[in-house]
Amino acid sequence: MSLLRLENVTKRFGGLLAVNNVSLELASGELIAIVGPNGAGKTTLFNVISGVFFPEEGKVIFEDRDITRLPAYRRAPLGLGRTFQIPRPFGSATVRENVAIGAMFGTLGSRINVDESLEMADRYIDLVGLQPHREKLAGNLTPVEKKMVEIARALAMKPKLLLMDEAMAGMNPKDIDYMVDLLIRIKEKEKIAIVAMVEHIMRAVAGLAKRVVVMHQGATFVDGPTADVLSDPRVIEVYLGGPSEKSKKDLVTNQTS
Amino acid sequence: MGMTGYVDFGYVTFIALGAYGMSLGITYFYQVEGLGIWIVFIGFLLALLLASLSALLEAFIALRLRGAYFAIACIGINEGLRHFIEGAKLWGGSEGLIFSGSLIQAVGRETANQLTTFWADLAVFIIAALAAFLNIHYMRSKIGYALTAVKEDEDAAKVMGVNTTKYKTIAFLTSGLLGASVGAVAWGLKLGYVFPGDVFVIHYTVECIVVVLLGGAGTLLGPVVGGLIYGLSKYWLAIIWPGFQLLIFAPIIIIIIVLFPEGVVGMLKNRVRGTALERYLL
Ligand SMILES: Nc1ncnc2c1ncn2[C@@H]1O[C@H](COP(=O)(O)OP(=O)(O)O)[C@@H](O)[C@H]1O
Ligand SMILES: [Mg+2]
Repeated sequence: MSLLRLENVTKRFGGLLAVNNVSLELASGELIAIVGPNGAGKTTLFNVISGVFFPEEGKVIFEDRDITRLPAYRRAPLGLGRTFQIPRPFGSATVRENVAIGAMFGTLGSRINVDESLEMADRYIDLVGLQPHREKLAGNLTPVEKKMVEIARALAMKPKLLLMDEAMAGMNPKDIDYMVDLLIRIKEKEKIAIVAMVEHIMRAVAGLAKRVVVMHQGATFVDGPTADVLSDPRVIEVYLGGPSEKSKKDLVTNQTS
Repeated sequence: MGMTGYVDFGYVTFIALGAYGMSLGITYFYQVEGLGIWIVFIGFLLALLLASLSALLEAFIALRLRGAYFAIACIGINEGLRHFIEGAKLWGGSEGLIFSGSLIQAVGRETANQLTTFWADLAVFIIAALAAFLNIHYMRSKIGYALTAVKEDEDAAKVMGVNTTKYKTIAFLTSGLLGASVGAVAWGLKLGYVFPGDVFVIHYTVECIVVVLLGGAGTLLGPVVGGLIYGLSKYWLAIIWPGFQLLIFAPIIIIIIVLFPEGVVGMLKNRVRGTALERYLL
C-alpha cells in the first residue's frame, strides 16, 4: 500500500494550469526530492496535498483514503505535516509553544494535553538543534532558525508524511549540509516519509534522496532514481534553459562528479 | 477582544446589543405582575441572546473576510443595524428606549437606585473577574494555543490541524457574551436609556478602540482592563467634576498611551515574560 497517491491531479488559477495532470506515488518512509524551476507548480502541488487548495480534477489518496476534498485541518490528524516556502512560525509565541502547538493538534490530537505537548516539544527542539532558543519568541529568530522551528513543529505532529517546501532556499553551503543530514536523520529516526522540495540546489539533491521528481510547467516530466534523473538530457535542457546561472553550475558539477 | 485579532471591531456591536437587551427586557416586561426585579435578569438574558446571534454572524463573516475588509464589514453591520433600528422603528426607533421610569415602577425607587449604582458597578467587577477567570482557563488549555495560532497565521494554523472555524466561533462568542454583559449593566442598566445614535455611532467605535489600546491590543485581558479603567474613570469623573470629564480625560488617555504603548496588560506581560505569571496575561 502506498502512503500517498496522486491520481491525475489538475489545479488551475483562472486560465493558468499550475498543476497539470500529475500522478505520483509515495511509499511509507520514502524520502524523495522534488525539483523544478520557479513557477513549475511545486508549491501549488503541496497546497493541493495539504488541503490549502482543492484540485479541479483528480484525486488525492492518503493511506487508501480519498482526501481530495477534506479540509486542511482534518488532514493534519491523519498524519500530514508540512512546512512553508517562507517559514511561518507563530511569531508572538515562543519556540517551545510553537512546537507544542504541533503536538496538540497533530496525530496525537485529543490524546495529549498541554503539559505533555510542551514536554514533547522539547524532544523535537533538541532534534533540530534549537535548544538555546527554546524560550525565545519565534518572530525574533533568523530565517534559518525559523525554518528549524517549522520543521520541529511539523515533526511534533508525529506525521507519517512531511512535505517540505523549499527545504534549503536561501541557505549557505554549511546550512545545506546540516539540513541534508538532518532530513536523513529524521527519516531514519522518526520513520516518516519526506517530500523535500529543492528548487535549484542540485548539489544537495544527490546526497539527499534516492528518487527525484522533476516538475516543469505544472507537470512531473521526469521521475526516477537520482543518478538517472540528473543525467537525463531533458532535465539538463530545462535547467540550462532556466534563469539561474547558479543552477546550471550546480547541475554541471553534479554531472561530472 | 483581540483574541483572534478580529474581535476588536465587533466589540461595539456587542456592547450596543447588550445595552439594547437590557433596555428591552425592562421596557417590555416591567408591567408583568410578579416579575419585579427579575426583569433585570430577563434583560440580561436578552442581552446575551442578541450578542450571541451577532457574534455568530460576525464569526461567519470573519471566516470569509480578513484584515481591513473585516473591519469595514463590522462598521457596516454596526451602521446597518443602527439604521435598521431607526428606519424600521424597531425597539423605539430613533427615539430610543427610556426605561428608568419603568424600572422604578417595577421595583420601586430605592431598589432602582441601588440597582443602577451599587449593583451595576458590582456586576461590572464580577464580569471583569469572570473575564479574568476565562482568560486563565483559556490560556492553560488548548483553546489559548489555538487562538494564538489563528491570530498569527490562519493558513499555517489549519495545516497544523487547528479547526480555525471552531476556535474563531469560540472567540467571538466569548467576546460577544462578555461585551454584551458590560453593555447591559454599564451602559443599559446604569444609564436608564438607550438611543441608537448613542450606542452605534462611529465615535463609539473609536472609544472602543481606545479601550482596546489602553488595555493592550492582542491580549485577552486587555480590553477588559481598558474598559474598566476607561468606563469607571469616565463615570466617576462625571460625578466628581461634571462637565469637565472629557477635558481631563483626553490628556490622561494620551499620557497612558504614550507611557504604555502596548497597553497596560501588554506592559505587565513584558515585565513578567519568562516568569510563571506570564501565561495568565496573554
Ligand atoms: N494563489 C495563486 N493564485 C494565482 N496563481 C498562482 C497562485 N499560486 C501560484 N500561482 C501560479 O501558479 C504557477 C505555479 O506556482 P508555484 O506552485 O508557486 O510554483 P513553484 O513553487 O514551483 O515555484 C505560477 O505561475 C504561479 O504564478
Ligand atoms: Mg514555490
